[in-house]
Amino acid sequence: MKYLVMVQGSQADYDAMNGKASEHSAAWSEKDLQAMFAFMGEINNDLAETGELVDANGLSAPSQTRFVGADKDGKPVITDGPYGETKELLAGYWVLDCASLERVTEIAARVAACPQPEGVPVYPVVIRPIPDGPGIDG
Amino acid sequence: MNDGTKNGPGPPAHRPATTEDLLRLHAPQVLGALVRRYGHFDLAEDAVQEAFIAAAQQWPAAGAPDNPRGWLIKTASRRLVDQLRSEEARRRREENAAALTPRDAFTAPPPGESRAPSEDDTLTLLFLCCHPELPAAGRTALTLRAVGGLTTAEIARAHLVPEATMAQRISRAKQKIKGVPFRQPGQEDRDRRLATVLQVLYLIFNEGHTATSGSELHRADLAHEAIRLTRAVRRLLPTEGAVTGLLALMLLTEARSAARTGPHGELVPLDEQDRTRWDRAAIAEGTALVEESLSQGPAGPYQLQAAIAALHDEAASTEETDWLQIVALYDELVRRAPGPEPMAELSRAVAVAMAHGPEAGLAELKGLEKELSGNHRLDAVRAHLLEKSGDTEGALAAYRSAANRTLSVPESRYLMMRAARLRA
Repeated sequence: MKYLVMVQGSQADYDAMNGKASEHSAAWSEKDLQAMFAFMGEINNDLAETGELVDANGLSAPSQTRFVGADKDGKPVITDGPYGETKELLAGYWVLDCASLERVTEIAARVAACPQPEGVPVYPVVIRPIPDGPGIDG
Repeated sequence: MNDGTKNGPGPPAHRPATTEDLLRLHAPQVLGALVRRYGHFDLAEDAVQEAFIAAAQQWPAAGAPDNPRGWLIKTASRRLVDQLRSEEARRRREENAAALTPRDAFTAPPPGESRAPSEDDTLTLLFLCCHPELPAAGRTALTLRAVGGLTTAEIARAHLVPEATMAQRISRAKQKIKGVPFRQPGQEDRDRRLATVLQVLYLIFNEGHTATSGSELHRADLAHEAIRLTRAVRRLLPTEGAVTGLLALMLLTEARSAARTGPHGELVPLDEQDRTRWDRAAIAEGTALVEESLSQGPAGPYQLQAAIAALHDEAASTEETDWLQIVALYDELVRRAPGPEPMAELSRAVAVAMAHGPEAGLAELKGLEKELSGNHRLDAVRAHLLEKSGDTEGALAAYRSAANRTLSVPESRYLMMRAARLRA
């Protein structure tokens, strides 16, 4: 079974990683960042080695986001600008192919144990199963 | 052929040719031979891929045949003829009778005889794959597959897209050039088309050298492939200054690749790179090529950029770099460009800062605000210059903005680290 494993964040969290503290979050130091990158890199390596990793990516900052609709001629209309400062949204994801929900839960718990500096908000890691069946290519 | 003996920073110089090397070496000529004889680029291309798969299965165990190219052409021809005989193909063949029927003996010599040297096929193929009708993504994909001999899966991996997406892109590109006659463009068209070919090769190189997205900074395979293809074009057009200049530029840029990333894939800027890890052989070859290219007529953008790269590569340190000369070369580059060249001007601003101090560089950036507004590189350069000038707060804000804007993971990490270091 495939699972989508998601981590959340807000623009303020991205700013904190770039060194800008706010009410919402303390700023990350160079050492904090290195610890986090190393931790995530290890998880990805392990998942690649077990063959469970299908895809994984971190997403760019919410300020890069846009909402798009279409007008009556099919031309794109941007209906919302970048996300606001505190709105939480998807910050990164893994698509994993795991033997069981227990196994993917174990992986999500490991992701949740990622080292973080004091004073930084903690979000739960979200798991959503991806039903089997023909994908977009089928 | 001197392939594999002087590949710059590529594979070791005297490694015995593997099946894969042999296949890549012969790919353009085999496909060229088929297309010239039978037309039907798309079917011929499929047939060549099938012949390559057969070779990859048989050669490692049985040994490569004495005449690998002949073997491949024979095998691919059989597959193509089989395909043309099938009902579906016959229907298509009838529909395209005009395109299939050789206009005269010159365009379609009988099987087994080649009128033009097969090397010319490589160039004709390149011109075909870089047809102006094709979108840029289609050109690079088709070039890598038809001339580079890469599989769809390899090209997809290098471009970080699913294989199905890349297969679709390639098949759309093939559809689009269906019926385009297989011959080199006329003289008046040739220069413009050659410029497109070089642009595609440079794009492939850049895609490999600095991945624009994704987590791997260096997709070495693509950069090496671009160098190999550019070498092939240079063998065919040794007196073309732009070709010589482009090869020089690629070699001089690639020479620094080992020092560009740290142990965890993080980006190391030029002034912090361990210059003993630069590839001296590639620098020597690139520098000689720059000189040669400058004797081959007026210096175009590739020659000028190669000359700039040579100045960087020859310097023992950032301080000992001839920044005044580099500024002069950028001036030339900007002046000769047909349109605005904001990225070249941005690099020029860095050189000005190195030659005359960070404030002078920051003043240069003012003129670029409009054209590069929202571009992370402008923010990154501004951040560096502000940091150098002692404006910590301004530098922090600029690093932050650049890190938020870049779509490359290593670049974003590098910028985040700079911001964090500045706060410490």
